[in-house]
Order: sequence, then structure tokens, then C-alpha cells
Amino acid sequence: MPMPSSERASVLVIAEQRAGALNPATWEAVAAAQAVGGPIAVAVAGSGLAATAAELAAADVGEVLVVEDEALGTYTPDGFIAALAQVIEREGPGLVFFPHTYQTRDFAPALAGRLGRVLIPDCVGAVARDDGIVLQRPMFQGKFVAEVSPAGPPPYCVSFQIGAYRADAVVRGGSAATRAVPVSVDAAAVRQRPEEPFQEAKQAVDLTQAERIVAVGRGIKGQEHLPLAQELARSLGAELAASRPICDSGWLPMDRQIGSSGQTVSPKLYVALGISGAIQHLVGMKGSRTIVAVNKDADAPIFEVADYGIVGDLFEVVPALVAALEE
Amino acid sequence: MGGDPPSVAVLEKSHDAGAHMLSGAVLDPSALAELMPDWQSRGAPVAVPVTEDRIYYLTERRRIPFPITPPPLRNHGNYVISLNRLVRWLAEQVEGAGVDLFTGFAGAELLYEGDRVVGVRTGDRGVDRAGSRKSNFEPGVDIRARVTVLADGVRGNLTKALVARFGLDAGRLPQVYAVGIKELWEVPEDRLPAGAVIHTLGYPLPHQQFGGGFLYALPDGGLSVGFVAGLDYRDPRFDPHAAFQRFKRHPLVAGLLAGGEMIRYGAKALPEGGWHAIPRCHVDGALIVGDAAGFLNSMRLKGIHLAMHSGIAAADAALDAVRADDPSAGRLSQYAERVESGPIRRELHPVRNVHQAFAAGLLPGLLYSGLSLVTRGWWIRDPLPAHAGHERMQRMAGGMPPAADAVPVDRRLTFDKATSVHYSGTRHDEDQPSHLLVQDPDVCRTRCLEEYGNPCTRFCPAAVYEMVDAAAEGKRLQINASNCVHCKTCDIMDPYQIIDWVPPEGGGGPRYEGM
Repeated sequence: MPMPSSERASVLVIAEQRAGALNPATWEAVAAAQAVGGPIAVAVAGSGLAATAAELAAADVGEVLVVEDEALGTYTPDGFIAALAQVIEREGPGLVFFPHTYQTRDFAPALAGRLGRVLIPDCVGAVARDDGIVLQRPMFQGKFVAEVSPAGPPPYCVSFQIGAYRADAVVRGGSAATRAVPVSVDAAAVRQRPEEPFQEAKQAVDLTQAERIVAVGRGIKGQEHLPLAQELARSLGAELAASRPICDSGWLPMDRQIGSSGQTVSPKLYVALGISGAIQHLVGMKGSRTIVAVNKDADAPIFEVADYGIVGDLFEVVPALVAALEE
Repeated sequence: MGGDPPSVAVLEKSHDAGAHMLSGAVLDPSALAELMPDWQSRGAPVAVPVTEDRIYYLTERRRIPFPITPPPLRNHGNYVISLNRLVRWLAEQVEGAGVDLFTGFAGAELLYEGDRVVGVRTGDRGVDRAGSRKSNFEPGVDIRARVTVLADGVRGNLTKALVARFGLDAGRLPQVYAVGIKELWEVPEDRLPAGAVIHTLGYPLPHQQFGGGFLYALPDGGLSVGFVAGLDYRDPRFDPHAAFQRFKRHPLVAGLLAGGEMIRYGAKALPEGGWHAIPRCHVDGALIVGDAAGFLNSMRLKGIHLAMHSGIAAADAALDAVRADDPSAGRLSQYAERVESGPIRRELHPVRNVHQAFAAGLLPGLLYSGLSLVTRGWWIRDPLPAHAGHERMQRMAGGMPPAADAVPVDRRLTFDKATSVHYSGTRHDEDQPSHLLVQDPDVCRTRCLEEYGNPCTRFCPAAVYEMVDAAAEGKRLQINASNCVHCKTCDIMDPYQIIDWVPPEGGGGPRYEGM
């Protein structure tokens, strides 16, 4: 495998798209690459990708590699592994960055295995040092951050936790060159037969993509009070979410649960209503940019992470907030 | 399974090998040496020899050192280890030897032909909390075997069913248990030399209650701190997690932990009943080993080596039965003979009444323990009578007396249960049926509330059980099943014996890295 020519390892970011729409986590991986420095290429695999490639080319990166093949029209692990292995072997980057999405989790370990290279998944940071790249990975439930130096030959495959880098921190730099990278994927060798994508629950929401979230906890007391939070969510243009007890009681569907056994989110605004801030909840939302907490108990741990805290009865505070927002 | 050597498959419910392993732990390396004489050169993670033993009797503020370390607690030649690491390493060794290790698969039930065990069925995957199949549903698979070895641990769900089906505990004493709660800490390196072993008796437990604390020093400031409480206590208000927090606030412990950081939490029950509580461990097609059988020396506070000794004996018996194509109980009874003639009986028989003597209180227990060293366990009554621990819990006449003062939670030295659970790393898919089956939840809000004040909300060290307000019914039991750390305390200690612990979807549960 050719070694990167420049001093700094070159980074290849693997973008994720479906039907041409980029998964926003792609931008977080691009931001990670920009933070590390060195020449950056972004590869996007699929079919009919002209517009997607143009969207990616707006970022301040060296070039965008377009990996098109009929067999890549719909995602399959076999197809993507075959295609991306060829791209990586041909381009010879020092680092390969992935967003830590479900799709990455599905194929990246096998891709790294195919290449015979290490995969360091679910990282929260990457730092270029004189003696090489250092990756930061949380361990012991986020109590510590371990610094990991990859061993063995490059490229090193790395995936980044959602929210570890900010999508809006990506430096836009005009227009990167776009280059088609031909690959040959033997459609007959693809063992998976994808069916129409579907969502398990009809109203499934992807809270990880929400810009604003209003979350409720035990303080809401009963299902009959949920409309209060819904109203605030409506006036803020926010998604409604909850801590575990609420979903556990069936007051809200489980796909709206935030925390270690639910979703990990990092919206621009997170409003926590009647949530005490058990650590299981905090790990799912502490990456939010602005956290507003309303809780009766001034000692509640939620106030340790909140940017704005209101010690008070949510049944008084929330209607006042709604009224103020309506004005 | 056929062939020679016969194929060996290991089912492990945890996400990876060792993730559900929890122990102090001080290892007697005798069984490891028998299994693998070259364990040292192979690089077993058994590297910290015990350098000193200390034992204290604690009062609320003071510590009184024992003038001598009682012989069973002398750990010269033993090692302070992480059982999680040892098991992870052993898993690599057995995989290297051609054993198939299937992690993330729980044994849900035994398969029978007539009365012969012919294998195990793994749990279904992809079932939602209402019991309906999700899009990722996969039915459990039947794994057939000529000999099935049950190593499902303390109060194992398969062993429990097997013992009940064949009355394997007939004529034996009821098993009695304890629950151990442990945290792994990182403390400044000068606190204790690696290999230091400290045991305590006394505070925070009253004299009539069985239990004690431990502190085992690892290299680089690693410190295992834990507390074991007998699950045969009388006061339904007792909370083992709270007792552990009190233990940490004792000046001896708080001083060692000050400035340090808690990095892992876990809890697990232990079988303490000893020799007289071991059921018959061989039936047609199956053997029971380790904690599932109760091979634990409660006087030495050790079971790992006995579990391994039983595993070695069971493997030999199973291999012989497979080669002879005769997995009958008669053929497999050579396992029982090995237990009788080997290190297990040699170690457990002389201390056969020790735990039962502690049922009378700390002082009688200590006196009897000392005596048994001289008499090799002889006593006027042998076996000493015993009751299942849950039967000893006392009913409260006329409502719940006020609970003891709550332990202050500072989230540095002491923690609430929810935070503790977080540091156990436990994870379960939330959308699955509860794996804690309560036969009649009405008992909880009626009889149990009145008679025992819902002790499950206290004895569970992971806040699984909660009584929540339910307008019409007053209170209602809420089971936070995804908090479960698989310690089995509820299955053991529920006074009505209506809680059944069954395995959740494979791969769920704690992650005891480094524990």
C-alpha cells in the first residue's frame, strides 16, 4: 500500500448518503478531519451522486471522490466493502474517518478486516502530534478519555461519535475538485438483497438530527400533563423527548427516550423539564450546545450541566415560557 | 456432538467473555496450576501476589485489628486478580484450543428426551416488551449435546429448573446466599502496596447479621473495595447498597479512597451454604459445576479455584461419557466421586457448618469457625440446621418502622443506586419483555407492602424494583428491568419467592471490565 506522500497523514472521509441525501453526521467527520489537518479527500459511494458530490465540494477539502457503480445504488455491506476497499487501496490515505452511524457500524469493522487494518471506533477526538495521530476514546462509561495511538501499518480507520465534532464547524472553502474513482463491484458476489427501507414504528423520529429538543422527566407527574410540554415544544419548533421513566411508563414511545439506554443527542437547544439529571440521562444530552433546565430541586444534578437553570415548578414556569414565546 | 476430540461449545450470556464475572478477587492458584501448569509463561493475568493480610473489627468510628490473622484468611501464595481479566484470558486460551465460544447467547431452557438432558435452547432475540416479534426477530436455537455442563453461576436459571425438576436438593440443607457489592477505584498510589488484602467485620452490620468488607490493592493505585452481606438478614429494611455506602464512609475506608475515583460498580450473589447445601450434581446427560452447584468456601471467602476444580472434574467425566457413548447419570457419577475424593471435599467438608453457625450471630460464628479448625468440623449437631435466607426475614406487625437515616450521597465517595448502575456498564435493549417475572404483582401492593414494606426496593442493588404511585390502586410495582446487573438477589431474597430471574436477550447485562 502506498504511503501518504505529504508529511501530515492524508485523511479520507467516508461520507454517508441515502438516495443522494447526506447524513449530517458526515459533516462531523469532515470537521474532525479539518481539526486534524493535512490533505483531506471525501469519498461518497452510491449511484447518481452528482448533486451530493457538489454539496460536499463546498467544504474546504482537497477533493471529492465519487464512487459510483450500479451495484452501489442501495447500500449493502458486501457492495460497500468491496468498493471502498478498492478506493482506500488505490488512494492510500494515512487515515480513514467515518461518522459512527448505524451504517458505519454495519460495514466498517468488516472493511477494516478486509484491509487488514485497525479500526478505532466511537472516538470523541483526534489530535495530530509530532509522532503521529492520537485518538481519544471514552472508557468506563465516559469517566475517562483514553488516548489511543494506533499501531501497525496505516491507514488507520477511525469512527467518530455523533456530536463529538460540530457539523456547523466545517470550514467551507469554495469548490473542491471532484474526481470519479472507478471501482468494479461484482453484483453477483453481493450476498445481501436489500428490501425497501422501512421504519420500525410509524412515528419514529430521529432525535439525533433534531436542532431543538424539549425533554420531560418524572416532574411532569402524569401523562395527562404532557400537552403542557408539547405546547412548549410546538412554540419552540422542537421535538419532544423524555427521560427513561416517562417512556418506561408508556407515556411516550421509546424512540423518544434520551440517555444511555436511548438516544444520544446534541441539539442546539435542549430544554429539560422536571428531569433530575441522573447520569444515565446526562450522558445522552450533555453534548447539547445550550441546556435549559427547569426543576423544583435546586440540588438536582441537571443544574450542573445546565447553561440556564430555573428552580421552580414546571407547571408555573412552562406556561409562562409559552406565553412569552407566543408574543 | 461427535468427532474426536469431541466438539465443545460454550454459551455465554454476556456480551464478551468475562463481562458478567464479578469477584473480589483473591485467587488460590491451585486449580489454575492443575489446568495449565505453564500458566505463568503463557502470561495469565495473575501477577500480584498477596503481600499482607490485615483483618479488622470495625465500630462506627474505630478499627480494632485482629491480633492474628485466622489461618483460613492467610493468603500467602495467593494472588489479587481481576476475575474479568482472568476469564477473558482463559477464553482466549480455550478458543485457541478449538473450543467454540458463543458470547451473547443465554441458555433459556434445557432440552430433554424423557428425563435425559440433551442440550440447551438459547433465548429468542428481537421480541418487544409486549412479547411481539420485532423486525429483527430471531428464534432461539437448540444446541444438542451428549453432555451438558451447567455453569450458569450462582442461582443459575437452568440449574434452578433442573434441581426443581429432579429434586436434586432432597435431603440437603437449603442453600444460603450473600450478596457482594464491589467498586473498582483508582486512588493515589501511596495508599496501599499492591497485594495488600484487608478484611473487616462489624460495622455497619449489627452482630446478628452476617457479612463484612474487603479491600484488595492492585498495582498503579487500583483498589477493589467491596462489601458482602448475608441474604439471611431479619430486618426487611436492610439495604445492602446502603450498607456498602456506610462502609465506605468509615474512616478506615474513606481514608484510603479520599482523592480517588470510582470507575466501576457491580454486584453479585454468592452461595455461602457450603458442603451440606450442595445438590446432587449429576443427572442423565448433565452436570452442575461452580457457583451453580455452590462450590464456595465461605470461610476462606474463595470459590474461583473450587469452580475450576469442579470444571476440571466435570470435563473429565463428560469426555469419558462421550467416548463411551454413555451419558447416563451412572456413568457421569464419576464426577461426584471426583468431588468427594478431591480438593473440593477436602476443603469444604471441614468447614461444612461454618456458615450455618454464623446464622446465630457473629460471635457464635467466629467461635465455631475457630473450633472447626481443631475438630475438622465436628459438632454435636451435624449438619447444623439451616433455613433458606428469605424465610428469616421478619414480618412487621403494625406497619413499617421508620427506616434508618439515609446515607448522604455526595457522588464522590457515596452514590445513589442509579449512578452505581451506570458504572456497572449494564445495558439491555429497552424494548424487550421484562426478564424478571413476578408471578403475582398484586402481592406487592397488598400483602408485601404491609408485611415487609416491599424489601425488593431495598435489597436490589440496582434499583430495578420501584413502587410508584398509581392513583386507583395506591401503589404499583414498576420493574426497571434494564437496570439489572444479574446478581440474582431478588430471585433469592424475595420473601414470597414469586420473582423468577430469567435471562434477558443475550448480550445484555453488566460490563465488568477490569473487575
